[in-house]
Amino acid sequence: MATAQATTRTASGPPGSGPLAALRGRPALGKILLLLVIAAVAVPLAHARWGGGVWPGALTVDLSGPLGEVNDWIIGNRDSHPLFLYFFGHISNAVVLSVRGVYLALLALGWAGVTALAALVAWRTAGWRLALTAGLSFLVCGLLGMWVPTMQTLALMTVAVLASVVLGLLLGLAAGLSDRTFRVLRPVLDTMQVLPAFAYLLPVVLVFGIGVPGAVLATVVYAAPPMARLTALGLRGADAGVMEAVASLGATGRQRLLSARLPLARKELLLGLNQTIMMALSMAVIASVIGAGGLGDRVYQALSSVDVGAALAAGIPIVLLAVVLDRTTEAAGRRIGTEPTGPEALRGVRGWGLAALIAAVVAVVGRFTGGRVWPEDGVVPIAEPVNTAKDWMVDHLYTGIPVIGGTADWAAHFTNWILNPLRSGLQGLPWWGVLLIVAALAWTIGTWRTALTAVLAMAAIGVLGVWDLSMDTLSQVIAAVAVTLVLGFGIAVGAARSARLERLLRPVLDVFQTMPQFVYLIPVVALFGVGRAPAAAAAVVYALPAVVRITTQGLRGVDPAAMECARSLGATSGQQLRQVQLPLARPALLLAVNQGVVLVLAVVIIGGLVGSGALGYEVVFGLAQGDLATGLVAGAAIVCLGLMLDRVTQPTARRQRKES
Amino acid sequence: MTEASTPVTRTPVTGDPAADTPAAGAPVFSVKNLWKVFGPKADRIPGSEHADLPPAELRERTGCTAAVRDVSFDVEKGEVFVVMGLSGSGKSTLVRCLTRLIEPTSGTLAIDGEDVLAMDTTRLRELRRHRAAMVFQHFGLLPHRTVLDNVAYGLEIQGLGKAERRAKAAELVEKVGLAGLEDRRPAQLSGGQQQRVGLARALAVDPSVLLFDEPFSALDPLIRREMQDEVVRLHREEGRTMVFITHDLSEALRLGTRIALMRDGGIVQLGTPEEIVGSPADDYVREFVRDVPREQVLTVATAMRPPTSGEGDNGPAVRPGATVSEAIEAVARSGDPVARVMEGGRLLGVVDHACLLDVVAGADAGAREVTV
Repeated sequence: MATAQATTRTASGPPGSGPLAALRGRPALGKILLLLVIAAVAVPLAHARWGGGVWPGALTVDLSGPLGEVNDWIIGNRDSHPLFLYFFGHISNAVVLSVRGVYLALLALGWAGVTALAALVAWRTAGWRLALTAGLSFLVCGLLGMWVPTMQTLALMTVAVLASVVLGLLLGLAAGLSDRTFRVLRPVLDTMQVLPAFAYLLPVVLVFGIGVPGAVLATVVYAAPPMARLTALGLRGADAGVMEAVASLGATGRQRLLSARLPLARKELLLGLNQTIMMALSMAVIASVIGAGGLGDRVYQALSSVDVGAALAAGIPIVLLAVVLDRTTEAAGRRIGTEPTGPEALRGVRGWGLAALIAAVVAVVGRFTGGRVWPEDGVVPIAEPVNTAKDWMVDHLYTGIPVIGGTADWAAHFTNWILNPLRSGLQGLPWWGVLLIVAALAWTIGTWRTALTAVLAMAAIGVLGVWDLSMDTLSQVIAAVAVTLVLGFGIAVGAARSARLERLLRPVLDVFQTMPQFVYLIPVVALFGVGRAPAAAAAVVYALPAVVRITTQGLRGVDPAAMECARSLGATSGQQLRQVQLPLARPALLLAVNQGVVLVLAVVIIGGLVGSGALGYEVVFGLAQGDLATGLVAGAAIVCLGLMLDRVTQPTARRQRKES
Repeated sequence: MTEASTPVTRTPVTGDPAADTPAAGAPVFSVKNLWKVFGPKADRIPGSEHADLPPAELRERTGCTAAVRDVSFDVEKGEVFVVMGLSGSGKSTLVRCLTRLIEPTSGTLAIDGEDVLAMDTTRLRELRRHRAAMVFQHFGLLPHRTVLDNVAYGLEIQGLGKAERRAKAAELVEKVGLAGLEDRRPAQLSGGQQQRVGLARALAVDPSVLLFDEPFSALDPLIRREMQDEVVRLHREEGRTMVFITHDLSEALRLGTRIALMRDGGIVQLGTPEEIVGSPADDYVREFVRDVPREQVLTVATAMRPPTSGEGDNGPAVRPGATVSEAIEAVARSGDPVARVMEGGRLLGVVDHACLLDVVAGADAGAREVTV
């Protein structure tokens, strides 16, 4: 039978086998063709029934009514229903009490005590250089007049990080020890990591209302996944040889976990802690829009009145806090497995004891000489001079500079020449055309599974009835991603070729990657005013470091033997780049695109705070007006958009690597 | 396979052909018809019509791989039992089956007469804690612990107090020649030193049998030699039973009291190094041992012939367990035509130039053996 088929196939001759062979060689072409066949059947049907243009009204479901009822019900029953009284109420109270407790403890330590404590902890984990940085950073926070907000943010973060770590560890343990839990949890955690922070705010507000409990819980939900993910990966990645040796000595399950599996995963655990802290800081700042208070609130208030000076005064402490926290936890992770250094008397417990003692002494001395909070007359007001500088900029740099124009001109051009045409183009596309493009992109880069998820997510946006707004957001994302990729790939190619450029870039990238998203809004508002262009600019600046870093690593990681071979054949440097480096670094490039898209989306959404409109503004508006239904629908659309964008750019290779 | 069911108990140390009575007491390990099959419905393979298929065909028909197939042997007290084979021959799986780190598919397995496969978790844990300790190819040390704490780890698992286990561990660190390195971490040691830590960790629990899984394969040749000497020394000093897995023939010949040669999961030949080299069971084994310097393995007991009149009066005396190369040296030094093989003042036979050269040349030693 098989031979008969084979002969008929060969008998049909070259015309028949030609295209088939071509298809076999290029699976992407086959997928597109198949998609075209499906489209040829489905599109006329859909078009005839619902028409082209934007998402048909017949296919939308208006959720604002039911959601409004849910909201009303929750508000009406918040003080009486047992679910709130005995469950959410207790959580809420516990959160408020613990945040308050930590806050009071920090105030009781006084500014001298807190600064000393921070410096000493940094000294123990990362050495005296970072101790100096930490001490100076806290002093700067005080000098800027931000001591109390800094302590508020720190208190909220401490509670949120502790809760995230506990929750993440528990989930990570479950997923690390049970295959089934891992299979269930992993896609959820992976997806949670690509969603913009804003998407988490509304469901929390729905249950807990605006205030500290909601802010803390949103932060926990946002910050726990990396801890859980890395714990699970660390536990599963334990050296099989060591685990076998431990088993061969007759260790019980508990002994295996405590004496081998957990210690072997220490690097991952500390990396998880680092990521959790950084994400918690990022979210604690963003959560100011739902009443987190602290530094984020100062930035938020200042930005809404375009008071760049005040925003900067609150933004600098955020950056300093981020740098200190990141470097300290990162150094702790790096030190694992190395020999203790320094004098014998300062190692281990004794060193920590000494640190605690010094901190206590400084705190007590500080209480007797100064006060608990930073002295009023010790504040250096920078808001005024900064605003003066900004006014000068508005007058001299915004517009009218010969030849190059001005920053406001650039923003206007970007909006008029790129964002507007793109938005009208996207909104003008027939809805089935968008779905088709999404399917084609996702399927050629990934698998049919990712394509299906992407199409369903896109369709869900239509069903939610926010098609137009989502297209607006999407146009900003696409424009910002395009700029990011052009700049990022350009810089990365340069950095991959010149070691000096890479050395110069590295510290800059390090700092930029640690900063919370929110902070990027401050300089762009100063430079470009408000609107969609500044939001896109912030997104570009935020996503650029990751893109540059991944691409540079990918290009540098190209097999040197292949490069040498190309050189020995006399390839020019351009040929080397085009024919060897770029093709071999393809997985890294695709990953860079994926990361760029995810990061850009996060900031474009937050851009709603500085007038970028679209979905982000809907969320802010919903929060500000107490119209949670609008906000929730926009939040759901953000989730769908994030899911779609991630899947569309998710390379097959990444998925495979993850599963292995 | 037929060899496997009739274990040879003779050892090259005594070389006494009369010592073919089993050693006193039950064997340390007694393995009968052991199978380990990986794949779907693995338990149906042993004893089925598929059992005798070659590996490739078995995988094609059933999707299963028989890593260990129908293996039987006894490990006697005090011997170094070497399991040798190329990679994929199932030797590492076999040694893991002995303490059920890998669960055997079928067969029987006893340690000191006690059925291992019938043990519950607690009993099995006791077995692993006190009776059989293993040394691994990639050491399996805990990177976050010091050398001393790694050596003490087995005792910690047993629940020994800190001071006690550290004292014991310090003793063993000394014994394997790592004194002064107690506070280092594994990453700071060379491969040879790391394996010494692994050895000390296994010895610390004072097991009745030591299992080695290709312990020296990852080491440099010189270090490997050093570690082999270490094992020989330990065995001589303590007489501990050892099961030693290796893919290195010279290592097997150096260390083994007896050697089981594995191929495709089964034992092809089981015997003393001398038997393996001197009378290979089949072409596979013959090919395997082809390049072995026979004069360094075969003893004069196999090479000697009965003395003709007068030959027993002169010439250097050698033990029957002496290797042929030792006899060559003795004959060459003395200038006498023959060397006398003496045991306890009794003349067993003589070796002349022809006998000795035959061994070096690889002439059929089996035929000569018959004439003894």
